[in-house]
Amino acid sequence: MTDTPIPDDLPDDEMPQGDDLLAAELAMSLLEGEELAQARQRLGLDPQFAALVAGWQTRLVAMAEGIDPVRPPRRLRKRLLKSLFGAARVPLSQRLWVWKGLTLAAVSLAAYLGIQQLGPEGPDTSGTVFATQLSSDIVPLQVLAVLDPARGDISLSRVAGTEAAGRAFELWAIVPDAAPVSLGVLPAGDRMRVVLPADLRGRAADITLAISDEPAGGSPTGAPTGEVLAAGPVTEL
Amino acid sequence: MEREEVELLIGRVALSDRAAFTKLYDATSAKLFGVCLRVLNNRAAAEDAMQDSYVKIWKNAGRYQANGLSPMTWLITIARNTAIDRLRATRKGHIDVETPGLELAAAGASPEQFAIATSEAQRLVGCLDGLGEDRGAAVRGAYLDGQSYAELAETFSVPLNTMRTWLRRGLLALKDCMRND
Repeated sequence: MTDTPIPDDLPDDEMPQGDDLLAAELAMSLLEGEELAQARQRLGLDPQFAALVAGWQTRLVAMAEGIDPVRPPRRLRKRLLKSLFGAARVPLSQRLWVWKGLTLAAVSLAAYLGIQQLGPEGPDTSGTVFATQLSSDIVPLQVLAVLDPARGDISLSRVAGTEAAGRAFELWAIVPDAAPVSLGVLPAGDRMRVVLPADLRGRAADITLAISDEPAGGSPTGAPTGEVLAAGPVTEL
Repeated sequence: MEREEVELLIGRVALSDRAAFTKLYDATSAKLFGVCLRVLNNRAAAEDAMQDSYVKIWKNAGRYQANGLSPMTWLITIARNTAIDRLRATRKGHIDVETPGLELAAAGASPEQFAIATSEAQRLVGCLDGLGEDRGAAVRGAYLDGQSYAELAETFSVPLNTMRTWLRRGLLALKDCMRND
């Protein structure tokens, strides 16, 4: 071993200087406080200094070469993708159970819709219809919703759930990159129909419906103020 | 996966291609998780550090082309820096979410100049050994265990300034060795 013993002390003026060492110390995470802040700032402004840092990172990363890969748990991948991209879109085949489990409610809602569609205007077969189930984990609330963009409305069937005294359930439509749009407070009764605003009709496939807990009469601000009780993206039926 | 493939994936991730990001994760996460585990020596902390690393990769992929690093060097350096930051934060008792932990920036270097290769790794190991046992251990302690000058000074029972001078000389010697070897 050709080890040189560490000298007892070295005077400051013998300390090696220079940008290259500063770059090395930054790449090694050895800088602290003001020195670190200054070096970081320089990194963004001074390409020559950045190249020195990149050179050290390349030299030093070789220390990681010998580290064996370890397969991370599968749930990490899910967690990461969810945190970056929001809720993963569940394939339709996996979502169908929702409808199987709610056959009676779904059939009665479909029957209700059928009756409506056979009304004076006649059946509308031109448009695609979307649906979702809003099921709360927080309170016993369950609402089925069917969106009909061609007709410009949403039919709702409240399968379960009652508002607390002095509170209301407010329905919201959410499309990517926009604030939630209030569709109004759910009226009493188990079936209802609300108007789908014209500017949302073209984006029906992107809509997520949500229900929040609000003061009686609905949110005073125009945005959800209470807890979001249930939310669900729509699926083409 | 070949270097060019990883580079291509990072380029697509820079364009917010989610499928490319998933592929990149599948191809590289085992290596990055290994690095996080080595630094943090704790599974839960390593999981968090790896997640943070990939969030940074997603957000900063657009800066990759400019930094002159090989793709694996870029990815591993992000994971190593993120893990070291987490280690330090845990020691201090809090996590500093404001610090990007991404000591990467600006253009200037040509990628060819810094191509990482196994031969380079072997050269580094040889040169680290050439520094002598203590210096080699100090460089590894700083890079892989996040030891500060103060902690290294304590480990080697020398004054702080001495440690700093000694390690800096070691780094210069290391660079010389890697250039000439």
